[in-house]
Amino acid sequence: MTASGLLRHESVLAALIILALAILAMLSDRFFTPENLLNQGRLMAEVGLVALAMTFVIVTGGIDLSVGSILGLTAILFGVFWQNVGMPLPVAMLAAVASGTLAGLGNGLIITRFSVPPLIATLATLALYRGLAEGISQARSVRGYPEWFFFFGQGEVLGVPFQLWVLAIATAVCAIILGLTPFGRATYAIGANETAARFSGIRVSATKLWIYAGAGFLAALAAIIFVSRVTTTRSDMGTGLELDVITGVVLGGTSIFGGRGTIVGTALGLVLIQALKNGLALSGVKGDGTIVVIGVVLIVAILVSAIIDRNRGG
Amino acid sequence: MTKLTVAVALCLGLMSGTAFAASAWTGGDDLPTSPLSCDGAAAAPAAKPYDGAEPSSAPDRAGKNITVVDIPKLIGIGYFNATSKGIQEAATELGNVEAKTDGPTKANIDEQITFIDNYITSGVDGILFAANDPVAIAPVLKKALSKGILVVGYDANSTPDARQWFVNQAEFNGIAKSLLDNMAKEIGEDGAFAIVTSTFTTPNQARWIAEMAAYAAACHPKMKWLETVEAQEDNNLSFNQATTLINKHGDELKGIFGMTSVATPASAEAVTQAGKCGQIAVVGLATPNAMKPYVEKDCVKSVVLWNPVDLGYAALQVMRAVADQSLKPGATTVKAGKLGDLQVINGSEILLGPPFTFTKENIGQFDF
Amino acid sequence: MSTAAAVLPVGRSAVRRFLAAYGQEIVVLSSIVALFLVVGSVNPRFLSDTNINSIFAGNAYIAVAAIGMSMVIISGHIDVSVGSLIGVIATIAGTLAVSGYPVWAAWLVPVLFAVAVNASVGALVAYTRIPSIVVTLGMLSILKGGLISATAGAWITDMPAEFMIAQKRIFGIASPVYFMVVLTIAAALFMRYSDFGRAVYAVGGNIEAARAAGLNPERTVVGVFALHGLFAGIAGLLFATQLQVIQSTVPPNLELTVITASVIGGVSILGGTGTVIGSTLAAILFAAIGSSLIFLNVSAYWLRAVLGLMILATVLADMARRRRAV
Repeated sequence: MTASGLLRHESVLAALIILALAILAMLSDRFFTPENLLNQGRLMAEVGLVALAMTFVIVTGGIDLSVGSILGLTAILFGVFWQNVGMPLPVAMLAAVASGTLAGLGNGLIITRFSVPPLIATLATLALYRGLAEGISQARSVRGYPEWFFFFGQGEVLGVPFQLWVLAIATAVCAIILGLTPFGRATYAIGANETAARFSGIRVSATKLWIYAGAGFLAALAAIIFVSRVTTTRSDMGTGLELDVITGVVLGGTSIFGGRGTIVGTALGLVLIQALKNGLALSGVKGDGTIVVIGVVLIVAILVSAIIDRNRGG
Repeated sequence: MTKLTVAVALCLGLMSGTAFAASAWTGGDDLPTSPLSCDGAAAAPAAKPYDGAEPSSAPDRAGKNITVVDIPKLIGIGYFNATSKGIQEAATELGNVEAKTDGPTKANIDEQITFIDNYITSGVDGILFAANDPVAIAPVLKKALSKGILVVGYDANSTPDARQWFVNQAEFNGIAKSLLDNMAKEIGEDGAFAIVTSTFTTPNQARWIAEMAAYAAACHPKMKWLETVEAQEDNNLSFNQATTLINKHGDELKGIFGMTSVATPASAEAVTQAGKCGQIAVVGLATPNAMKPYVEKDCVKSVVLWNPVDLGYAALQVMRAVADQSLKPGATTVKAGKLGDLQVINGSEILLGPPFTFTKENIGQFDF
Repeated sequence: MSTAAAVLPVGRSAVRRFLAAYGQEIVVLSSIVALFLVVGSVNPRFLSDTNINSIFAGNAYIAVAAIGMSMVIISGHIDVSVGSLIGVIATIAGTLAVSGYPVWAAWLVPVLFAVAVNASVGALVAYTRIPSIVVTLGMLSILKGGLISATAGAWITDMPAEFMIAQKRIFGIASPVYFMVVLTIAAALFMRYSDFGRAVYAVGGNIEAARAAGLNPERTVVGVFALHGLFAGIAGLLFATQLQVIQSTVPPNLELTVITASVIGGVSILGGTGTVIGSTLAAILFAAIGSSLIFLNVSAYWLRAVLGLMILATVLADMARRRRAV
């Protein structure tokens, strides 16, 4: 996929976003305020972090349906490590993030070592990891964290929510990795033609392992932020996260067949969805109506992009 | 290797099963329980000092039009349809309240919090809520309070410091007592029963089951709890789970508790289709519309519930009273329109009243 | 690995070829048998005819939906909106039945609706090249939001008895079982012996080669989605009439269950291989596992973990088997 091709979809998306923002701002005067926009940034941090990793995954032609379950599992483990095992809170945080990364690595191993197609592998781990969360937690929640812990999910640095900083930094790092490093090029190569990539010396399995482990890592990070935001743990946290993330990534121009997509696109896709959800709610549209709009926007955006592609002879 | 995995899994499952069978019933939570006395005299609820929260710098809304949003656990199920109906009735009757119901399409805190947050930004005057998780919802509700928005809960509470008042349909131990007494009446003091619930993490259901276990231990010690199964809020899954229970326990199963307004009709259906009407009692919480077919055929004798329409109605009346400042911390009763005076218990809870039992005689009068 | 399961690999003995071509179906069937034997010995009530009937009849609608889903996956696509569609079908059917329309209308109209919706999805996918996962992801939201807007989850009750197709029994066996068996066999024969069926495999295997061979991939894709709509519609009717009340909401996680049944049944997500018999068997296996875990007294808190492990085990076993077979 050429650079100009990528730019085309991103431009369509950017245009859509500007259009949407303008309309939403007209419909409600509380939409386009710094307070609201920053708040939306806070709310989309979890989906955003996971979407960054999902971009890599989908670019390689794979998919990861278990990210929501990894988030739930990490949240539960975090509580268990702190309360039942007695680790100090910072250690519990690290241990939980490590566990989530391991869960992602598990996905990667099943996919690379056993050649299980990613859809099926993560369909299985979706159930398995969620089940582990339910079993380990025995349906109990862990609460009563010290005040300082809530800073991650509810605090601000220089007036900007903490998790938004984390998201911004992660986005920058991922964009650099995907766009400018050999690892990123390997990712695209695997998605474009895995066999050819293997023959050209790219270490396909190792790359995939890193990517799926990375998905686990970012899901775990999102879990910590989420627990900090809501001050409790539940085994059903993150249910349905994967569909929201995939919608954002696909909307951003990442091809589900692999080989194409950018972090910028994903970021734009997520911004559009968040803006719609928030703006529509502020202008009085109810939840069910918002879902319909997002579904339509998804289809229309991809359709428009495909048509433009076609007309340019792409 | 595959066989090993499966074997390990089964061992895990079986071990954990027996390990935890010794503790209280599956599906209950681990909070302290307070079973009521066995002989029916409900003890007067203890008076506690007000423990709700206050909004900071709320504007004076007495007598003015207010906009209220109702954010239940989820939309799209009959129960919250009914509460929403009650809210609309109250709004029409009061005339100076604009109320609407909006919420997530699945019972998840993630989305519910986002909904509340959006409405805070849009500047509503009041928020009514039924929480998916009492602790998780607290930060966003506190944010609402800090912006001067009035916050009243119903059906499923938050932590007391996150809302001003909570309209309680019935006390947890009261529901536990009603359910168990009704079941004991139908299956006898040494009958065996099973429970169909939504999920083990749903706070209300978990509380009820824990209270039921405590009450049964105290007042119906010979009744036997067999097991609890989860069925989310899925009608067909609840049916399949109940059918499995009937098939598994055979004649030993004498009763099924349905803990949600979806589980109870589905369990009744399972009993009907298994041809065991009259042999297996179904006792549970449900809305009358869903239960009419079974109550009319005498498959289910009684359905315990409060009136969710009344619950929604009361919640909005309380909201109006708070806005008009006719309901203040320390009050012991509140006037709730056609429902009359409602009692304040536990500091900041408002009790709707005793649970209502729908039977063949009266079920036809209700449409929700 | 052969690219069309309709064709048995040449060479080895007939038995070997049969085993190689239908390997996954055989694995699933053996698992079902093994499961029944193991659980039946632990708790004989598992094998009672009421329980077996419950397992089959209560979950037949999943198998029927999986027939259509398998066809779609074989053609190289996927549909994540089938759960929402079934919810909508059930609501339409129930509403028509309660509103006094003749029973055949209450049966036919929802099915036609499902066919129309899915045919449109298929057309969108085929002619605009938008990936099916994107279109159906969007469709999922549209159907779900639309259903909730229209009904807010109201209960539908008092449906006429003649309408309750899933509750009719023939020779004591509930009708969904017959639907499942008959439709599976019909679909299997159709996929294997009809031109259209072979076209679906060809398009799923290699779309350009199919085009070069004179097939019209676009029409095939629209057709397979339309067929999928037919099966989803029938599944919706079975789903709607299982109980005397319909909860007009979207059944949660149904699409995942249906997709899992298809892929565990041997339909390759890459397209071009697999049979509908496999997906029906897998749907039965899942239903049986769900029931058996309760019979085995597996701790309710660990149910989903055990289920996940079993799915994983089945998948790994299949991969190991494919490696040995190649």
